[in-house]
Amino acid sequence: MNGNGSKELTADNTAMGSSASQAVNAISKSGTTNAHPHLHSSNKSNASDDLGDGMHSSVIPSTNAQNSPVVLTVQQVTKTIGKKNIVDGLSFDIYRGEIVGLLGPNGAGKTTTIRMIVGLIEMTQGDVHVKGHSIKRDFVQAIRHIGGIIENPEFYPYMSGYDNLRQYQRMSEGVTITRIMEVVKLVGLQDAIHKKVRAYSLGMRQRLGIAQALLHNPSILILDEPTNGLDPAGIREMRDYLKQIAKDEGIAILVSSHLLSEMELMCSRVVVIQEGKLVTERSIGGPVVDEELTTVTFRVNDAAMAEQTIRHMKDITLLATQIEEGIVTVQLTEEDIPALIQSLCDARVRIYRVEEIKSSLEEEFLKWTGGNRIA
Amino acid sequence: MHSFGNLVWNEWLKMFKKRSFFLPYVLLAGMVLFMAFMLYKFSGGSSTGYEFAQLAVTTKGMGQMLTLLAIVVTAGAVAKEHSMGTVKLLLIRAQSRTKILASKYVAILIYILTLAAFMFVVSVLTGQITFGMESGTVAIGDVLREAINNLVYTIVYVTLTFMVGILTKSTGPAIGIGMFMVIMESMAVQLLARYSWSKYLLFTNVDLSMYSGGGSSPIPGMSLTFSIIVLAVYLLLFLTAGFVTFKKRDVA
Repeated sequence: MNGNGSKELTADNTAMGSSASQAVNAISKSGTTNAHPHLHSSNKSNASDDLGDGMHSSVIPSTNAQNSPVVLTVQQVTKTIGKKNIVDGLSFDIYRGEIVGLLGPNGAGKTTTIRMIVGLIEMTQGDVHVKGHSIKRDFVQAIRHIGGIIENPEFYPYMSGYDNLRQYQRMSEGVTITRIMEVVKLVGLQDAIHKKVRAYSLGMRQRLGIAQALLHNPSILILDEPTNGLDPAGIREMRDYLKQIAKDEGIAILVSSHLLSEMELMCSRVVVIQEGKLVTERSIGGPVVDEELTTVTFRVNDAAMAEQTIRHMKDITLLATQIEEGIVTVQLTEEDIPALIQSLCDARVRIYRVEEIKSSLEEEFLKWTGGNRIA
Repeated sequence: MHSFGNLVWNEWLKMFKKRSFFLPYVLLAGMVLFMAFMLYKFSGGSSTGYEFAQLAVTTKGMGQMLTLLAIVVTAGAVAKEHSMGTVKLLLIRAQSRTKILASKYVAILIYILTLAAFMFVVSVLTGQITFGMESGTVAIGDVLREAINNLVYTIVYVTLTFMVGILTKSTGPAIGIGMFMVIMESMAVQLLARYSWSKYLLFTNVDLSMYSGGGSSPIPGMSLTFSIIVLAVYLLLFLTAGFVTFKKRDVA
């Protein structure tokens, strides 16, 4: 399904590009921005409909998630190495069925945090509870609810994928052979499962990684840089799997990554840390209030004319005009967009493209973390 | 208990599925056969079957080869999990680290046991076929005792290697240190024999075959029981160091 998915994506873009001159009401999105649910539902007929539906699944309103039961609680977790606090009093909760991104610049303590949650690294202070079980005092009970991929999943290369999964199946109580075949089917490895892992591509190893993480029906998946080393198609595939799992099985997912655009597409909430401390916690793509002003750029053949037209209209703020490129940037309510387009048409201005400008997660991230300085 | 059995089975499969699994068996059998051939050819077959078997399995004979092969197998048990990165997926299962490590140790012990048993059988059979069945001064019980002495010898060094493998997380040093100890052993015993405290050393006690000939103990005050106690203390020490380190280690 994923191969097709990426083809659809390309097809959409081409369709939009070629029909842009006449499709004046087509509102395309700039690549890095998150889908605007409202815009999409009001544009059901346009070519990006399919894409729009895809995007909707990422926009799980965080308010719903907050009502779901807490699966994972991180409480004042601190890791001290030498005199330095690698992670310093970090706390957050994760609820059922939500995908949470753990963001931070290099050296912020993402990996350390994740490894403390799964018990690979001992925490100096604080505690982590998984479904009420402390990972410190009740490791075996707590860890059985966690499925994890820590960096690139490594397997025994001289064994087949199936034999590798059998290893983990024997280590977890109540996992049957049927369950192995179930997860193998879920990640689409049926044809390769009896081949030696040595012969697997990185993408296949990632899939096997997801399979081993899901094997024991965990309540939460914890993934450390799961898209590391994957090609764009692999990343997209991974993202689709994760979203599907979160939606269908209600599994909470915690992902650490520094690929911001990736996180933006995947997560319903991000937790941003820097130098081991919590910087901010944000929901992504929550419902947008109608009265809110949006910023839109128009690409037209005659920017000067467009500018004149816009100046005559009320409630529209002209932000910038680039005459040479034929780009006009305005701020207005969504309700005014059709009227503006109508006026521009009446003024014989040809519109090639209408794009919504959203400040991307990347920009906000840099704001939160104060630029890309290496800690 | 059932789950521990599963863990041991897992560890066994990790060794078994490797192509190199049968290599130690082949090498041991090959060496026993080669030695039988050489002896038969050049000493004219003067010894009996059991005499040959005893020579083959004893530490001073070819038993030490078994120890060296076992060290190579053991060194990778924990270290390879680290170097391959598989330890991350291994330790996030609903099993305690102590249990996981114990299953590794048990699997290794089973492997060594099969190696020793295999060598015993091959040696006895080769001896019987090449040098005849007539009994001399050596009976099958003596061969068995030497094989067991060598098994103890091997277990001590394997446990040491196991510990080094856990502490250093790499196969190279574990093999190196393990083999170095085996090779240094006789020299250390000779050099230090004049000090009475050397009777508490691992080296001086590790080869229990020194008591089997009824000969005098190398240092006054040593006996079979004494040596067994000293070895047990060392084993406990190695295992404690290994298990505590493994349990506390931050896997980064």
